[in-house]
Amino acid sequence: MAWLLVGTAAAAPPQRIVSLVPGLTESLCVLAACARLVGTDRYSNWPPEVQALPKLGGLDDAQVERIAALKPDLVLAAPSARAVERLQALGLTVIVLHTRSHEDVQHNLRRLGDLLGDAGRAQAAWAAIERQMAEAAARVPPAQRGRSVYFEVESTPYAAGPQSFIGQTLQRLSLHNIVPAVLGPFPKLSPEFVVRAQPQIVIAEDRNLRDMARRPGWAALPALQSQQVCAFPSASYEVLVRPGPRMGEAALQLADCLAGLGKEPR
Amino acid sequence: MTAALRARDLRVALGGTTVLHGVSLELHPGWTAVVGPNGAGKSTLLRALAGLLPRQAGQVWLQGRPIDDWSARQRAQQIAWLAQQGQAGGDLTVRELVELGRLPHLGLFGTPGPQDQRCVEQAMLATECAAWAERPLRQLSGGERQRCLLARALAVRSPVLLLDEPTTHLDPPHQVAVVRLMQALARQGTVASVMHDLPLALQADRVLLMHAGRIVASGAHDDPALHAALTEVFDHAVRIERVGERHIALPNL
Amino acid sequence: MTPPRRGRLLWALLALSALLLLAGLAAGGDGWSPAGLWQLLQGPDAALIVGQIRAPRTLGAWLAGGLLGLAGALAQGLFRNPLADPFLLGSASGASAAVVAVLAAGALGAQGVMPVAGWLSRIGLVAAAFGGALGGVLLTLLLARGAQHTLRLLLAGVVVGVVLSAFSDLITMLVPEALRGRQVFMLGSTGYLGWDSCALLALGLALTLPLAQRLSRVLDALVLGEDSARSLGLALPQLRLLLVCLLAAATGLAVSQAGLVAFVGLAAPHLVRRIAPGAHGYTLLASTGAGAVLLLAADVVARSLIAPQELPVGVLTALFGGIYLLWLLSRQREA
Repeated sequence: MAWLLVGTAAAAPPQRIVSLVPGLTESLCVLAACARLVGTDRYSNWPPEVQALPKLGGLDDAQVERIAALKPDLVLAAPSARAVERLQALGLTVIVLHTRSHEDVQHNLRRLGDLLGDAGRAQAAWAAIERQMAEAAARVPPAQRGRSVYFEVESTPYAAGPQSFIGQTLQRLSLHNIVPAVLGPFPKLSPEFVVRAQPQIVIAEDRNLRDMARRPGWAALPALQSQQVCAFPSASYEVLVRPGPRMGEAALQLADCLAGLGKEPR
Repeated sequence: MTAALRARDLRVALGGTTVLHGVSLELHPGWTAVVGPNGAGKSTLLRALAGLLPRQAGQVWLQGRPIDDWSARQRAQQIAWLAQQGQAGGDLTVRELVELGRLPHLGLFGTPGPQDQRCVEQAMLATECAAWAERPLRQLSGGERQRCLLARALAVRSPVLLLDEPTTHLDPPHQVAVVRLMQALARQGTVASVMHDLPLALQADRVLLMHAGRIVASGAHDDPALHAALTEVFDHAVRIERVGERHIALPNL
Repeated sequence: MTPPRRGRLLWALLALSALLLLAGLAAGGDGWSPAGLWQLLQGPDAALIVGQIRAPRTLGAWLAGGLLGLAGALAQGLFRNPLADPFLLGSASGASAAVVAVLAAGALGAQGVMPVAGWLSRIGLVAAAFGGALGGVLLTLLLARGAQHTLRLLLAGVVVGVVLSAFSDLITMLVPEALRGRQVFMLGSTGYLGWDSCALLALGLALTLPLAQRLSRVLDALVLGEDSARSLGLALPQLRLLLVCLLAAATGLAVSQAGLVAFVGLAAPHLVRRIAPGAHGYTLLASTGAGAVLLLAADVVARSLIAPQELPVGVLTALFGGIYLLWLLSRQREA
């Protein structure tokens, strides 16, 4: 089936695209194919023009009928989407892409570029992201480099491990993740582990950070006591946790926060 | 002597159907057996007399006072009621089951005292289940359990005992024992029992014959009018014969 | 024969509790490690790690399990059904719905979508879960028009459960940020139980257990059947209502702190009745102990097995519960 798809792509670039993954929506727009989007999932919200597009549900409840009614010649989905088989059975072309790591984002840009017949723009897009990453890495003050960091994804606590795309970004910023890589991309930690690891920097959404000190034993975290924290409001936090072309922007956000943490002794 | 329990024009409906059509009776001290074909309303009558069913019409008096004037607890101290098909959970021991009979006197918060222990012991002795006092109920047979349930009713020491088919599941020796027990209790209080077993029922002081929700005959155990009514109601499937001083009912084969 | 067994079970539960409470102190980021505990105790972090994190978690699991065990015994007595569990009357679905609502409100408020969502999210998950549990039971009582009839109560509980579950599903569909939080709640966790949580749980247990013991005779009388119980002078509707309230309070308190831990409420009274059956005065107390031991044991394993990651404790209790029921079934087939 895959070679059939490649064949189709070489024949004619898709004109009507449905994207069910926010990161892929953003990638398409970065590749100047925003106008070809006829529908997205409900969570795609960048760039602003896609907000006006028909919202077709999420990964678990994609509205198959509405997607089919839009007559797309390409549907982009993630592996966990339940509608893929259904859409394929209806004769639609569905491409399933992972978005778990930096490599995935790069690969997706390349793949989409090939499909659109514009490989050059894809390369440029990735290069831009790389530049932003390098810029962000440079902006991190030397005093902050090498410090241990805890990036909280969910208040349970779920953390971002080194294997995740967030973890990879943190690595680029010369930060050391308290989560060992062996635990996977987004492990559910025991609260004790975080307290014992005594991260020097804590990064989380602002409303989780607000309540963090109330957790038993967490008030003693030096990072919390000396405000070595990066609290992000919902909108900017969303950029941080979205694997897509705005990863460079996310890296810059993080770097700016780190720069603003001031010079505290290790 | 005033009847312990009196009812006038008692009408009771269950699930929309009228089961008792204006029943009037007086339960005097002694043992009264309530007999009748299936569905005659015998159990319903007993439950209504015990205050367990709402009445559509009519009135019931307990010890001369309307039954609704009594609080639930006072009523429970006056009337002990034994269910027809005794449900008994397996986890309670016999003693714990019989001790429940003291609830009307102790309430929820009282602790059993020596008086209560005595009542429990005597009740168990009277029904011959004292040997299994510490055994859980589920280890007992149907008949043995029936005797323990009867002991529970006896432990209340109430002046009125309303027993719904107390001889079910019992073998003849124990049926006889229960009958003798009821006769003994009837000498000091009021006992009314629904009986399916006509020969045993005819040992009672008085017999109430019910049919289709009404009392069609009532009389002493040797009342000929009662015998005639019995034969009629049971479709001539029984005949009453005199044996010595007592009467017995035989299947009319 | 039976009374000595009852006493022995209680002693066994006490001994197990003491053992597990100690074991819980050794369960942490390195898995289950008494050596690690010893080292910790000698180091500077003892007060923080052991005193502020491990100790209250362990005690909290024990107390929450006790409340669930008590609630389970109450439910099984009230409904005269060995398969009843404390979540039957809408308490679980009510708590879950409230938690989801607060999580969703938090997400929406952060996005600035609904201004009222902001203050709703400040209610806090613990208060929401407790209020939701009570609210769920209240809805059930309203639907059943009081605690008059057991069957109606059960049916109403099922209806409320289904409707509130659907409500939760709808919210998580619309606001997916609430999904993970909901999952964590549904699977149970003792992660953030501090000393204040322990105090609340202990207070709750201290209030509900004696009162339930007092009402144990009602449950005994109910064993005889409704009519017989009434003939003993018991005001059943009011007493049943009181029992339902106790059930709701105990369940609500436990799930608000530890989440919807499955099977503890079902298995604890079951086990007690298999080992040492008796009147409810005993069963309620023993079920409390058994529930405490069960949840604590599951929690210690949950914290140690894949450390430093944690399994949700509800997964383990469901696993143990499932195995136990399978074993029961196999015994039935042989018998």
